[in-house]
Amino acid sequence: MSALLQLDHVTIRFGGLTAVSEVSLDVRPGDLAGLIGPNGAGKTTVFNLMTGVYQPTSGAITFDGRPTAGRRPFELTRSGMARTFQNIRLFRSLSVEDNVRAAMQVHRTQGPFQSWWRGAGFRRAEAEVADQAAELLSIFQLEGHRHELATSLSYGDQRRLEIVRALATRPRLLLLDEPAAGMNPTEKVELARLIRAIRDRFQIAILLVEHDMQLVMDLCERIHVLDHGVKIASGTPEEIRRNPEVIQAYLGEEHSLPA
Amino acid sequence: MKDAGARRWWVAAMAVAALLGWLEPRLDIYLADVLARVGINVVLAVSLNLINGHAGQFSLGHAGFMGVGAYAAAAITVLAGPHVLPTSCPDWLHQGWFLLALAGGGAAAALAGLLVGAPSLRLKGDYLAIVTLGFGQIIGVIVRNMEPLGGALGLSGIPPRTNLFWVLAAAATTVYGVTTLVNSTHGRGFIATHDDEVAAEAMGLDTTRYKIVAFVTGAFFAGVAGGLWGHFKLTISPKEFDFNRSIEIVVMVIVGGMGRTAGVMAAATVLTLLPEGLRLVAGLSPSLKWVGESRPLLYALMLIALMLLRPQGLFAWSRARPRPA
Repeated sequence: MSALLQLDHVTIRFGGLTAVSEVSLDVRPGDLAGLIGPNGAGKTTVFNLMTGVYQPTSGAITFDGRPTAGRRPFELTRSGMARTFQNIRLFRSLSVEDNVRAAMQVHRTQGPFQSWWRGAGFRRAEAEVADQAAELLSIFQLEGHRHELATSLSYGDQRRLEIVRALATRPRLLLLDEPAAGMNPTEKVELARLIRAIRDRFQIAILLVEHDMQLVMDLCERIHVLDHGVKIASGTPEEIRRNPEVIQAYLGEEHSLPA
Repeated sequence: MKDAGARRWWVAAMAVAALLGWLEPRLDIYLADVLARVGINVVLAVSLNLINGHAGQFSLGHAGFMGVGAYAAAAITVLAGPHVLPTSCPDWLHQGWFLLALAGGGAAAALAGLLVGAPSLRLKGDYLAIVTLGFGQIIGVIVRNMEPLGGALGLSGIPPRTNLFWVLAAAATTVYGVTTLVNSTHGRGFIATHDDEVAAEAMGLDTTRYKIVAFVTGAFFAGVAGGLWGHFKLTISPKEFDFNRSIEIVVMVIVGGMGRTAGVMAAATVLTLLPEGLRLVAGLSPSLKWVGESRPLLYALMLIALMLLRPQGLFAWSRARPRPA
């Protein structure tokens, strides 16, 4: 199977600092992959390169066979890539439902003129959006909070709503930026179950950037490890666990990582 | 206002406009005059609210767009009208020509909005405010140097076409236009852009486009308001559309509550009636004469008190939408 997202010797420099150097990796359709690394390894930078926030200094990124160079983040989202944020970035003055609706605009052609005219086509399209939003929210048990402000949800619910909002753009690749940040161990177990369920139900590829080794080891089928902006390993959790370079990067000396 | 309900609301509002237009000859001249000012200010404030409130940009050039519309509409009736319309022409033709002039004024302002907005809406916050401020100044300078438009002396001899029907119809259409635009799946994008541009882009929304649509639509209605204003005052001069006028409109939006159309309508009404009320009080007795001149002071105090006590806006009663400062 050909890769959905491919990074080919990607490098980015900020002034004299090489934040990410010659990183190559790929995500295939249906993958559940993880990108890990110690603090400052360049994980979020790679993430921002993938989503078009940064343009690489050299190297190429292709998504779905097309180079991403020069495309703005919203264009990449339209072509099937959606993301969440490490620090929650919901639309704070919109309701839970409207957060999802806003994201559903991506694949619609209804614009200002339809909003003004409000003809039968517009009303049908709006009803469709409302149904789809309700369905998505009910999959994630958020339908009871539909009309509440997004920011009035509990922390865990806000994190889930961010994922729902990203799914509302109907992505083929979902990028999760530290989805477990700020969660307790019980919530993390729940999150792992949720991420697996999303992959199975929506048949999409998921790549997560994560600090929490345990979560990544349990959840991901393929793991890429970054250290100091360089990719030091790729493989299954078992391979990564045994990789001496990874152990070195994380612990500085020979210890075994949590099983 | 939802879907078909919005259209029904607009038809009802147009009926009220027609009724008041029909009643106008029987109304007190002063009352009709004040009502017309209220209507024009509602058009201005509600349209600015689309830009500054819903879409979260900060324009200080609304009076500039109003000026573009005022001059363009006046040019259509004063300069072009006599060449096109027959000398003895029925009233309905004059009214129709005026509608065209209003639309032309709006279109000219919208075009100006596109020319100013397209390059500058990539700027954020203060920078956009400065660009729009500069735009207002530029409009003034251009008009002052254009002989056919009367230069600094202003353009006079504009026919008195504005009546309560046109003003209220324009107000109803502006409210309809802004409300329906925002209350749709597409329209949620304006508020998403306001809340978090980075997240909005990540959700596939072209925020630059949203900002331009808000800016151009807002400018269009400001231009219509300008057309109404010109055919109401019958003489227009560049200094009427200066920075102070822009600030007045911004104040209406802030007092009403950013992003809340009903609140902004209420604020536009109250702030238009306020000077009239003060004048009324001042007329009661010679010892109260100072009240009539206290408007600027009162405005300043009111704004300070408002920012301290109710930063979300005085009339922001509907929808518990917390707005960060």
